[in-house]
Amino acid sequence: MMAALVQVEDISKTFGGVRALDRVTFEVCSGEWIAIMGPSGSGKTTLINILGGLDRPTSGRAIVDGLNVGTLGERELTRYRAEKIGFIFQHFYLVPYLSAVENVMLAQYFHSIADEAEAAGSLARVGLGDRLHHLPSQLSGGEQQRVALARALINHPKLILADEPTGNLDEANEQIVLEILRELHRSGHTILLVTHSGEIGRMADRRIELAHGRLMHIVANVT
Amino acid sequence: MPRVEFRSRPRTVFVRLITDSFTRQPRRKLLTTVALALGTAIATATLTVALDVGDRLAREFRTLGANLRVTPEADTLPLEIGGVDYRPVDSGVFLSEAQLGELKTIFWRNNVIGFAPFLDIPIVITSVGNGDYLKSYPNPNDPALRTTLIGTWYRHNVPVPNGGGVFSTGVASTNPGWQIEGRWFSDDSAEAVLGSNLAHRGAIKTGQMLEIRAGDARSQLIVTGIISTGGPEDDAIIAPLVIAQRLSGKAGQYRQLLVSVLTKPEDAFSQRDPKSMNPAEFDRWYCSPYISSISRQIQEQLPGVTVRPIRQVAEGEGQILSRVQALMWLVTFAALLAAALAVASTAGTTVLERTAEVALMKALGARRRLVGAFFLGEQWFMAIVGGLLGYVGGRGLAYTLGQHVFGVSPSTRLILLPVILGLAAAVATAGSLLPLRRVMQLDPAPALRGE
Repeated sequence: MMAALVQVEDISKTFGGVRALDRVTFEVCSGEWIAIMGPSGSGKTTLINILGGLDRPTSGRAIVDGLNVGTLGERELTRYRAEKIGFIFQHFYLVPYLSAVENVMLAQYFHSIADEAEAAGSLARVGLGDRLHHLPSQLSGGEQQRVALARALINHPKLILADEPTGNLDEANEQIVLEILRELHRSGHTILLVTHSGEIGRMADRRIELAHGRLMHIVANVT
Repeated sequence: MPRVEFRSRPRTVFVRLITDSFTRQPRRKLLTTVALALGTAIATATLTVALDVGDRLAREFRTLGANLRVTPEADTLPLEIGGVDYRPVDSGVFLSEAQLGELKTIFWRNNVIGFAPFLDIPIVITSVGNGDYLKSYPNPNDPALRTTLIGTWYRHNVPVPNGGGVFSTGVASTNPGWQIEGRWFSDDSAEAVLGSNLAHRGAIKTGQMLEIRAGDARSQLIVTGIISTGGPEDDAIIAPLVIAQRLSGKAGQYRQLLVSVLTKPEDAFSQRDPKSMNPAEFDRWYCSPYISSISRQIQEQLPGVTVRPIRQVAEGEGQILSRVQALMWLVTFAALLAAALAVASTAGTTVLERTAEVALMKALGARRRLVGAFFLGEQWFMAIVGGLLGYVGGRGLAYTLGQHVFGVSPSTRLILLPVILGLAAAVATAGSLLPLRRVMQLDPAPALRGE
């Protein structure tokens, strides 16, 4: 058994009077692909945001690569996001006036130093070597998500957090993105992926199922 | 892996973000740039005109007469009644005209646009006539014929020490507004101009010859013109200084000097006692063209004199100049305030539109200050573009204003360009403060959820 990269211990999160997460506990080993599943409002995105340092738990601990994310200061949390996490969002969130390669370089710039050649290589890895200088508006949805994937990978993050990455894609593009994720998993990346799709959930090593903020099941997929 | 071709661009990501944002999403940024350009155009125009109007009005005021009076420190009190100096010719203290060139060596020498020495002596007109026939007045003691001869320069070349060349000055420079019928005398001739009241009283006309007496000394002068100043000169004879010096036996001397200098309006600082200033304040006061600091410099250059501002002139000028300049500053402030409000409005909308972009940057690990710097960098980029456009447009506006209002084209002042760019940056910053605060405090998680 590999060491746990992520330890979620008894985490709760309330917004006003609403309990979004209720005493959730689990661990993720390095190199694992975890699918987080559940109906809308079950706390999937809240969990991802806490692990990604975008939100803080109301109680409990979220430890990623030895860091208790909930206790990090503003400055440390910023460094944590830049160095440890690769985000992929359902709505891509590319900067509309920057080209594909510039969008990737943006993540490099916030991490350390922008390197155009390396950013171009990262885009080539997701099959966009010929789209480097296209603006997001000149790319299809699938291509935009692949740019977001290249951006998430460029700083070699410890943990990839993907929040319904195929939610806005057609089937063909969904397969392309999933194939890239499979490839990332095979090369040893740790992935936490939020999805509604049972089919995508079955591609992961394990499924964590949430309902009303509570952890209902952790299911290991048989390959 | 396929071979990747990419364009090598040396610009940093920071600059790319700002310039790409400007060139690829220009609509709202154009609005901000136009607001800044309009504000700075008005600021450029009013500042250009205000700076030129100060000089222009100061020069116009100088046509009304001198604004400084220089007299001997130990002089006796003047005894003037109706413009006639009743002091004996040999009473009081006199100054040497040989030192007058020193006036053009003071720190603010270029602001000294003219000076004229005066030597007033009481005289009696004994006869008047044409050519070789002089008709004596029956009673030379008639008070109507007793008057003052004002000796001065009309246009005289004064050598300036230390290789400063020659400075042409006299009442032609200090009092160009005096009205004359006929012509002025030549400084080296036996000629004179008569005050209009005196000419009327004695029925004396241009071209006639006067014989005058001061004590035992006598002189004959040809009347070249009749002068009307509205002052005591209207009851006097104005003649070359050298004639007054000969009649009074005071060769090379004068009793009073009037100086025309270009000054800036007095303010609270200029009215402080220089003795109470610290060295830095004293330097600032000394190096500003206040009438008080120029007076001090003249006093240092001409030992043994007292320099006093002619208050009615100096204060009136100061008030008008101050009001014109205050009006210009007010217009400038209003234009820049309007620009700042327009910037604030568009910046507020821009931040709302770009909430997701800001949240993304923070999610990718951008520090709050860096995100703020991007936003402010964009505003400053627009300030530079808007400021440049505003400067060019403002120059044209200043030209039109100057031509139509003051009848003169304002000079180009490149020094205004950095000032205008600085003002544009300040306006852009002021207008962006609240939106900037919002950007820096934005919580990325709700923004990325679309809340």
